[in-house]
Amino acid sequence: MNIKELEKLTNEGVDNLPSLERRTFLRAGLVITGLFMGGTVLSLTSARNVEGAVGSMPKDEKYPYKPHYSMVMRQNLCVDCERCMEACVRTNHVPSYGWRTKILERARNIGPGQKETIFMPVLCNQCNEPPCVRVCPTVATYKDKTTGIVMMESKKCIGCKTCMAACPYNARYFNEETRAVDKCNFCWDTRLTKGMKDTACVEACPADVRVFGDLSDPNSEVYKLVHQPETTVWVLRPETGALPNVFYMNVTLDI
Amino acid sequence: MKMKALLMATLCFVAVAGTSLATAEKDTAALPEPAGDAAPAKQYESFGDTQIVDMEPVKHMFSHKSHVVTAGLTCDSCHPSLFERKWGAAKAKGDYNMASLEAGKYCGACHDGSTAFNTTGPETCKLCHGSDMKQPEVIVFNRPVKGVVFSHKEHVDMGLDCASCHDSAFEMRKGAAEETPGKFTMRAFYAGKYCGVCHNGNIAFAANTRCTTCHIGVKGLEKMSSKAAADEKKH
Repeated sequence: MNIKELEKLTNEGVDNLPSLERRTFLRAGLVITGLFMGGTVLSLTSARNVEGAVGSMPKDEKYPYKPHYSMVMRQNLCVDCERCMEACVRTNHVPSYGWRTKILERARNIGPGQKETIFMPVLCNQCNEPPCVRVCPTVATYKDKTTGIVMMESKKCIGCKTCMAACPYNARYFNEETRAVDKCNFCWDTRLTKGMKDTACVEACPADVRVFGDLSDPNSEVYKLVHQPETTVWVLRPETGALPNVFYMNVTLDI
Repeated sequence: MKMKALLMATLCFVAVAGTSLATAEKDTAALPEPAGDAAPAKQYESFGDTQIVDMEPVKHMFSHKSHVVTAGLTCDSCHPSLFERKWGAAKAKGDYNMASLEAGKYCGACHDGSTAFNTTGPETCKLCHGSDMKQPEVIVFNRPVKGVVFSHKEHVDMGLDCASCHDSAFEMRKGAAEETPGKFTMRAFYAGKYCGVCHNGNIAFAANTRCTTCHIGVKGLEKMSSKAAADEKKH
């Protein structure tokens, strides 16, 4: 195919293109990206069991990790004071342009002319099937075999940023100083390995929004919060099939 | 018919004169808010501005509303025996100061410590000589947590007056509650302190509900300030 000759041809436009031809072309594109099969843009294989909007509760008889670190967000308690973000920046030396945890904001109609604001704290969901790990060409990011934390080995990172595009939660940023992608690791190196039981954000939260713990331990608070049949527990973007380990719920505030 | 027209004309003249007088007063006093316009109660019509703010000899504030409506005084309680019914008349006399108040003149006739609060104690100074004499529209709290707002204007507009909150629930001074962040907590509200005086589920929505109504967050504050800046630009 000679591009120079093709360039000389007049553009036929799409007006006269038969719709079957257009559809075939689109379908080919979709099959290649895997979107058509319910996968994500970056996967060449179809995603496994796509979960419903509220589903995605762990189904296996056992949690795959021990301790199976997990976080529960009691979302309606969040008031965006951003102490968690400040504590995270201090503890993990996050630069001003980066983030390991964020607070998202949205408005919800609660009646005619009435709105309420909902604040949603987000961080790395430490997925059981992490799309970021799947796409990393250098195995710089990996799922820790003991704790299930999605770790970064920054020395191996080549800065291709594919993991940033693959993450359904926008939980990764490129650190200009280390020339590597950085992300939340539940304060593994800065706190957990130093004997502390909580992450910095959990400790800083004045409203007890965040609860951190071992989901495989039936006596832990996270286990008890997640396993309440009478309470709606949800995860973010369950349709990606990433099986996240950050759970959300609303609670009634007793006084 | 002719009589009726004459009556109407007179009424109109009085009304116009009254308004212009009121406007002139406002200009000299640099009033922050034209208060009481929408108030339905009849008493409001009997006096001018509900709040009189004067800059001389020192900044002070007098609330007609709390004297007439709340305390139930009539015009002749003060006029003309204590105050001439004319803007700036007391000031012109030359002895309108704390010493004469203490001697029982002007405000001191009632504000002697027995009929009404005294004019000598340090704790009562700020009732008339508040920190900046302006009713703030919105108060922003950043302690103990960031991004909390209180709409002062909304609360005044719904008919509350100064004494509803000051100084029992809140000291009448910006930032006073924030000085003791350990006490200014939600738990204190639940125990009926601060906002909890009303926000208990009976008088107003309970303090343990609708968190983000007041806790607009750091993002809410940013939006508020950028909106204010945009409004400023427009004017």
